[in-house]
Amino acid sequence: MVQSNGAHGMSDATETDTTAQATARQERGEENQQPRVAADASTNVSTDASLNAHAKQRKSGRKPIIWVIAALVIVALVACCAIVQTHARKAATPTASESIAIGIKLAPVSLDIRNQSGSALEQLLIGNVYEALVSRNSNNEVEPGLAKSWTISDDGLTYTFKLNTHMRFSNGDTLDATDVAWSINQLKAKQYYNSDQVENLKQASAPDATTVKLTLSKPDANMLWYLSGRPGLVFDKDARYDAKTTAIGSGPYLVKSFDSSSKLVLQANPNYWGSAHKARTNTVTVRFLPDDNAAFNALTSGDVQVLSPVNANMTGKLKSSGKYTVKATDGSDKFVLAFNCTGAKTSDKRVRQAIRYAINHKEIIASRGGVDAALGGPIPSVDPGYEDLTGLYPYNPTKAKELMRQAGYSTSHPLKLTLTYANVYGSELGEQLRSQLSRIGIDLSVNTVEFSTWLQDVHANGDYDLSLVDHAESHDFYKWTQPDYYYHYDNPQVQALYGKALAATNDKDSARYLKQAARMVSEDAPADWLFAYRVSVAQVKGVTGFPSRLTQSVLPLWKVAYTPVTA
Amino acid sequence: MEERPGTADRSSAERSGARERAGAERSGVQERSGNIGRPTGTKLRRHTGSPRPSRNGCFGRLPVRVRLGIILRSMWERPGGRFALVIMVLWLAVSVVSLAWTPYPLLFTDGDHAWASPTAAHPLGTDGVGADVLSWLMAGSRTDLAIAVLTVLVSAVIGLALTAAMVSNRRWLATSGVVVVDALIAIPTVLLALLFAVPFGASVAVIVAACGITYGLNMARIVRPTASLAARSAYVEAARASGVGMWRVFFRHIVPSTFPVLAVQLSMSAGTSILAEAGLTYLGVGVPSSVPSWGHSLTTSVRLISVYPLTVLWPGLVVTLVVTALYLLGDAIRDCADPLANPRLRQAAGGRALVRVGSLAGRGAGRVTDAMHDEEAES
Repeated sequence: MVQSNGAHGMSDATETDTTAQATARQERGEENQQPRVAADASTNVSTDASLNAHAKQRKSGRKPIIWVIAALVIVALVACCAIVQTHARKAATPTASESIAIGIKLAPVSLDIRNQSGSALEQLLIGNVYEALVSRNSNNEVEPGLAKSWTISDDGLTYTFKLNTHMRFSNGDTLDATDVAWSINQLKAKQYYNSDQVENLKQASAPDATTVKLTLSKPDANMLWYLSGRPGLVFDKDARYDAKTTAIGSGPYLVKSFDSSSKLVLQANPNYWGSAHKARTNTVTVRFLPDDNAAFNALTSGDVQVLSPVNANMTGKLKSSGKYTVKATDGSDKFVLAFNCTGAKTSDKRVRQAIRYAINHKEIIASRGGVDAALGGPIPSVDPGYEDLTGLYPYNPTKAKELMRQAGYSTSHPLKLTLTYANVYGSELGEQLRSQLSRIGIDLSVNTVEFSTWLQDVHANGDYDLSLVDHAESHDFYKWTQPDYYYHYDNPQVQALYGKALAATNDKDSARYLKQAARMVSEDAPADWLFAYRVSVAQVKGVTGFPSRLTQSVLPLWKVAYTPVTA
Repeated sequence: MEERPGTADRSSAERSGARERAGAERSGVQERSGNIGRPTGTKLRRHTGSPRPSRNGCFGRLPVRVRLGIILRSMWERPGGRFALVIMVLWLAVSVVSLAWTPYPLLFTDGDHAWASPTAAHPLGTDGVGADVLSWLMAGSRTDLAIAVLTVLVSAVIGLALTAAMVSNRRWLATSGVVVVDALIAIPTVLLALLFAVPFGASVAVIVAACGITYGLNMARIVRPTASLAARSAYVEAARASGVGMWRVFFRHIVPSTFPVLAVQLSMSAGTSILAEAGLTYLGVGVPSSVPSWGHSLTTSVRLISVYPLTVLWPGLVVTLVVTALYLLGDAIRDCADPLANPRLRQAAGGRALVRVGSLAGRGAGRVTDAMHDEEAES
């Protein structure tokens, strides 16, 4: 269980040497076991042979000698093997493994983080392969990244970043302020993915090699946070590479190989500029395991040492085996049951409120393994402006029925609604909602479709009654201020409050305005927040340093290490 | 006398019929040559309007209820047939009952007791949303029954239409029929279902259409040798010569002669359609998520098979039992409903015929029964 993290380079080296020898010996020992089995078989054969020998007496003189020699050799080998093994055991002290494998659910389609959507890309590459101007800690707060400090002007329109010195990309190129300014200006010019998050950013410039200046068109309290994500990533302006299959960044890891159907292999970057985030494990393999059962088997068979997420219904078996630690981690995933606010039937606020009263969140969470958290509003617990709003619409079927009656529906004269959602979320949620809403006079037909169909029909065209999706993004409250987003939610008061929150120059005020706005949204019932999905992470005992929060959005792996527990 | 074919003629026809089932081209030749010696006999039968001289000469005249009774009794006496009958009756009964009653309503969910083990309240446990597994399986039986019946109908229609084309005496039609079947038979059921599901969405109709078409093609392919043998037989030629219409010839003479193959093929279609339903539903192109079916139960429970293997056992068991029963049912029907294979049918028909024929010509009838007993001993 001793861990050496490169603090003492020399001792580390000697330790790895002994490990190498030990493993070599162990391997030899294992190989030697096979001849032993073979020997058993050959002894059996020898009985047959001696029987045969009785029938053919001529050869009987030679054979036993051969077998005696063979037996002696085998005994000698077994003895050697036993001695070597005891020695090996004495020599072997638990040391950190050179590699670790991690199982995640969704695979990125390509590695082109500037153009390709998908949260798996951010999760895997940001902080590991690419680094942003600032980084994000496990509390979802901004902390220094490539920039070691920054100042914001009083009007909130100028950000000045002081960069670290002697920074290099994995190809050896130096990383300085010109790369940062180039990356951010390219983002704006070419409208790369998520460039809309930093709409208020006007321009980036590099007064000197370690200073970056950002000018904004209007104050934006979220700017720093967004710069810790895709918009703040710094690319090498001189490097030419195929961004879809490989990556050249400044992070602690290099992309060794990538196959979107199976795995991404990360290798420690030998040229890494910093010391704080230096990779502790040489090779990290990230396997993509979309099927729950396959993922479970990969963990139990030792193919992966960490599984994130693991289906919460499966964790009981893992916990009871004693070999794994399982914990549920907070994140920004919100399962949003959106009601089309301009839809023919759901524009009636009473119907929307009735649905919220009719949903038994406790039961839904229980059926999913009981680890998810109830969520009553649009802001998750890890974001600024969070407030427990579950009290606004508690489970109350009587009230729901009354509201439905006022709207002109009853169980004998039900309201027909269609719920459209992507089949990746499984049929269970749809069935539960159908069952729970049937009790208040809603005849819900559940339409599970391909994710692409959902994107087209609901997300792009806004053509739906009810929709269910996991909005995994953090800091995404602004969607409720855009009437053309598929929620079709249009409340000028909320928009004004959000504007104030953005313009606020201190975080406290900003959070206060967000809190008010979130409460207002929840009261209007444009959606029901079924639950905040808490990702369960299972890891073999001996794994350390795996992130314990927000694992779905940022997954810094530099700290991860694995020391196999030897029996 | 005219109604009863001559003894020698009859037994020769039976023999040739038996060889037909083995699919030997030779028997056709033999029948033709055998009939060359007795052209008048064949002609005589035609004129009397006796429907099927080669096989149903004695069979067509039995009242349906008697025939059915004999067939069922014979099936019941075979272990495979008995198993098939029991499962079929249970399946039907459960389907009917589920229309009116299931232990819990299908809409019942109880998230607090998801993935529960079997208890008195839930004899087969609950699934991932806390719904009663037994109720869903019961309700699923009617969906699967509908799918099986519809698939059999569709594949029978398509298969027989293609067979009719392939054994037609219009050469271009027969050739193109063979080409079409050979070309289309390469399309797998799953692919076809996926193609249908794209524009129409997942539904029972997609399963029935995909299964019906592919199984119909298969059936046509397998039935064709037997059917073309019958189509070239002397009695069909004679029927045609005496002016019997094309369709009448096909349904009165050719189709019944392919009965053993048809019975097995159609029951295979029924069984395989159940498997296809389970598979297609798992792929998301089968029944929609709110419709109960065995495939649906399998799909929802298989998600956590590594932790709750018991939940997936029940739908798996039901599917296995029913599919096995359907396959055995086909074999049993072939063996019991075919008078060539089931001596009891002949006996019953023969007995009746005996009474009638006996008064006309005792000698001939006596020899008929002798021949039957011989064959019975053989089988």
